Amino acid sequence: MQFSKALALSAVAATVMASSAAHADGHAYKGPDLSGQTVTIAGPWLTADEENFNNVVAAFEAATGADVQYAGSDSFEQQIVIDVKAGSPPNLAAFPQPGLAANLAADGGLVSLGSDAADWVRDNYAAGSSWVDLGTYANANGEDEFYGFFYNVNVKSLVWYVPENFEDAGYEVPTTMEGLIALTEQIVADGGTPWCVGLGSGDATGWPATDWVEDIMLRTQSPAVYDQWVSNDIAFNDARVVNAIQTFGQFVRNSDNVDGGSAAVATTDFRDSPKGLFSAPAKCYMHRQASFIPAFFPEGVEVGEDADFFYFPSYESKDLGNPVLGGGTLMAMTKDSEGARAFMEYLQHPMAHEIWMSGAGFLTPHMGVDLSKYSSATLRKQGEILQNATTFRFDGSDLMPGAIGAGSFWKGMVSYTSGESSQSVADTIQASWDAIK
Amino acid sequence: MKRFRIGSLLANLALLALVLIWTLPTFGLLVSSVRDKDQLAESGWWTALSSSEVVEQLRTAGRDQQLQEGDEYVLRGALLSGTEILRWGSNSRAPEANQPNTSEVLRSGATLTVFADGRYEWRHSEPYARSRGLRVFVVAQMPPKFTFDNYIEVLTSEGVAQAFINTFTVTIPATFIPIMIAAFAAYALSWMRFRGRATLVAMILALMVVPLQMSLIPLLQLYNSIGGWFGVSAKSYPGIWLAHTAFGLPLAIYLLRNYIASLPGDLIESARIDGATHFQIFVKMILPLSIPALASFAIFQFLWVWNDLLVALVFLGKSPEEIVLTSKLRELLGSRGDNWEILTASAFVSIVVPLTVFFSLQRYFVRGLLAGSVKGG
Amino acid sequence: MIAQVLWALMAVVLSIGACWLYFAGSNILIDTWARQRVLSQRRHSQVQPWLFLFPALFLLALFLVYPVIKTFYLSFFDGNGETFRGWDNYLWALSDPQFLSTIKNNLAWLIIVPALSTGFGLLIAALADRVWWGALAKSLIFMPMAISFVGASVIWKFVYHYRGPDVEQIGGLNALVMAFGLEPQAWITLQPWNNLFLMAILVWVQTGFAMVILGAALRGVPTDTLEAARIDGANPIQVFFRIVLPQIKTTIIVVWTTITIVVLKVFDIVQAMTNGLWDTQVLANLMYDWMFRGGGDEGRSSVIAVFIMIAVLPVMIYNYRRMRAEENL
Repeated sequence: MQFSKALALSAVAATVMASSAAHADGHAYKGPDLSGQTVTIAGPWLTADEENFNNVVAAFEAATGADVQYAGSDSFEQQIVIDVKAGSPPNLAAFPQPGLAANLAADGGLVSLGSDAADWVRDNYAAGSSWVDLGTYANANGEDEFYGFFYNVNVKSLVWYVPENFEDAGYEVPTTMEGLIALTEQIVADGGTPWCVGLGSGDATGWPATDWVEDIMLRTQSPAVYDQWVSNDIAFNDARVVNAIQTFGQFVRNSDNVDGGSAAVATTDFRDSPKGLFSAPAKCYMHRQASFIPAFFPEGVEVGEDADFFYFPSYESKDLGNPVLGGGTLMAMTKDSEGARAFMEYLQHPMAHEIWMSGAGFLTPHMGVDLSKYSSATLRKQGEILQNATTFRFDGSDLMPGAIGAGSFWKGMVSYTSGESSQSVADTIQASWDAIK
Repeated sequence: MKRFRIGSLLANLALLALVLIWTLPTFGLLVSSVRDKDQLAESGWWTALSSSEVVEQLRTAGRDQQLQEGDEYVLRGALLSGTEILRWGSNSRAPEANQPNTSEVLRSGATLTVFADGRYEWRHSEPYARSRGLRVFVVAQMPPKFTFDNYIEVLTSEGVAQAFINTFTVTIPATFIPIMIAAFAAYALSWMRFRGRATLVAMILALMVVPLQMSLIPLLQLYNSIGGWFGVSAKSYPGIWLAHTAFGLPLAIYLLRNYIASLPGDLIESARIDGATHFQIFVKMILPLSIPALASFAIFQFLWVWNDLLVALVFLGKSPEEIVLTSKLRELLGSRGDNWEILTASAFVSIVVPLTVFFSLQRYFVRGLLAGSVKGG
Repeated sequence: MIAQVLWALMAVVLSIGACWLYFAGSNILIDTWARQRVLSQRRHSQVQPWLFLFPALFLLALFLVYPVIKTFYLSFFDGNGETFRGWDNYLWALSDPQFLSTIKNNLAWLIIVPALSTGFGLLIAALADRVWWGALAKSLIFMPMAISFVGASVIWKFVYHYRGPDVEQIGGLNALVMAFGLEPQAWITLQPWNNLFLMAILVWVQTGFAMVILGAALRGVPTDTLEAARIDGANPIQVFFRIVLPQIKTTIIVVWTTITIVVLKVFDIVQAMTNGLWDTQVLANLMYDWMFRGGGDEGRSSVIAVFIMIAVLPVMIYNYRRMRAEENL
């Protein structure tokens, strides 16, 4: 352990040196002196993400002398509730779901950041006011306050593929949904497997399927309908939603379409599922997943060279523009302290974004960052998709109440891929929504 | 006589089959944990001793290393060494199309030759354009490989070593604290006369089967308020020690009382007549005589606490400083679902201590089991 | 790291020291008072047992008795424990399809696991007595008792591991199935059989327990009755069912009930294997789910705990009565 600690320290030192060198122009972060203070952070980031975030943390520690402890957990959604209820929350929490943060805010579990922070986000994030809306919730007294801003955003409407495999087979990147469906059929006809899909994610198993359904909703219905669906103003078992679920089913419920057959979809971990793209010979040709997924590609895969992505296209026959589905983690304060406030301010500094930008799996709407810090052209390309979309909508399941968006919707999609009918799944989810009203 | 032999043969075979069913899964785990991770992902553990054919995806050198020979551009080098190439291909749709030492004309018009020893040669009239080399698929024979790398990996970078220490930190106090408390109570319930003793004994026994689920929410609330009053975390090692102590007490009192009550009564009576107090009798006579029963309970409690998941999930945090092995293993099962080299090695780390305790102290364990269950239940 | 272990060891020493101070101090004090006649002999013998019992009773009251009462109480309140809801939570449970399917699963667990564990335990105990390597066999079959449910889940998840039919299987069960020329299956999603595959894990763990207890009972059967039956021409199977079984009936009941209690509390296996997906939910895991998922609901979660408690109640009452009777002899 001593050995690895030394290794970690030297890695940290290297990062800090790299980042301070990068900020020789003088806009490096200089924090207050926080020696002896401890800031605890809980979040969903594990493995590669955790390493990147720890690099961000290390620069803060170096600048302030504070001790920052990050604890990542794959059951973060449950753990943060336990911790807040236990009265022993971390200082800061990175919520992958604003819905959960809103629940905690209503219970008085979050500390408001104040209107200055809201103004800062409005001015410094692209499409700023939408980000402010996403971080504004009712407090225990029912008054709206600004509780958190997004750090680490991702674009979800992406399809990953290996260009060389497409070349070998003579396939072209489709630009319409009709083309994508035709390509799927073509690959099956050629004896290949078009898709790798994995829904496994510990306690959160099922979420990747909710992204599919949301993306399809955005491509088959107007944004207004999407918003009504997310707020349950139209029922979950509405024909338009059931239709979206069935469209997803056309991709994954056909065993010819997915690696391992449809039985493998729900049992394969989402982190493992893209690996099929890179095996020899390839187990599948395409993988629909958000921008963070390269962090889980096998070692040595270079995004842009060995792997690339295209925009999950919209229907040519429908006039809905180019909608983009996105997500992200919301940084909020669960326990106030000087160190915690300083860290939140640090996260507003470009450096806190640029350090992770130089790693992998990170996008930011922060307009003050140096775009050349992105580790690849690929990430810049995603940034363009993010900023040029005709419609941007946040991941719907993350906006639904926790019991739905982090509960029955996930479970329902697992049941659906395991053979239950779309109508019955939608009915069950709507019933669970009625039960919490 | 002949019938008896057939019966005996059947008994041997049936028992052998059962023993195999019971032990092979654990044996498979152990074997897998020392296999090379690529081989583990490719083939079943029962093939661990045989060599396997694997398809590998390799690359030639890129444009920076190409040479110009006459009017041709050439890329030359070795894809791999130390093993013989059985078949190869340049197209992902036909990765085993060619025999070694043969050439293939590529889509681009270039000629690629791959030799059995791993060397290759690419020739074309046009220069090679990409920085990444050309993809080549080769089939090669892989000898079986065993390694402790998986263990090194989980102990260093996966945080299993720290979880191991955390589990010890939970288990040691939670095993020892209840012993003395239970022993005093068991003595009072065996050899002191007072009103309501029978009811008390029966109640404690009844508590043995109370589901922990009934305790979780109120205790969590209680811990929260206590944590709130003192401004400390509700989740802490002392908190979980106390919880495990209390949850272990009914069994402890029951086991120890059974044992202490069975000690000869006249021994205690005569000591009383000689003027010894209950306290003196307990400390000087009963405690030393009860060592075997104390050991039985200690093993039970040790195994129970070490293997517990529920109490740890609710009463202890998940930071690296607090997460216990069972909880860590469950997290890994969630986040590393397909990385069996990580899972098997971590699982083995988590079961090696209880297995050692179990096999070395099996006698006490069985004795406690018999005392605790045949009469109790 | 080392510091942490030392800290734990110090906690052991300190807490045992504190206990010791309490027991020694209070007893020496009261014994001295009795000798100096500050305290009457009667009072002394009335008080002293409670000095011995106090720490244990305090902990039991705080960690088991009080919570049980509080959980009953909470089960009549809403998710935050603030608004009285009467029987609403119970009515919700009895009409919630997920709860009902969980009850159905739990009933299956309650029948199958004790039956198979006891059956296998008895079979192995009987077989092991007839072969020379019986002690070794028993030791190996007993071994899973020492493995945590999570560890056991990893072991069996590996056995049940599924891959598509066109690649080599690394999970034992699918490799076996393919060796027989059948299609591999994603066992843990295969409703309703997946419940059986989870139960198998608990049977695997609990059989050793049944075997040890029943083995001791078997050895307690007097050999002369067995001899007599054999001389009368009974074959081993007849001897087993007519002579042995009636004599160990009580032990079988005890083993059966003990395993039943374990089954009711089973949480780890389901949590680690499926987390209740694919219709494998059981009460203990459902309770945990309601306790924390999506903000948690203390009322509903308490109701589920109460249902587990109700299922355990007959055993509790039986234990209580039997112990009372024994004590009053």
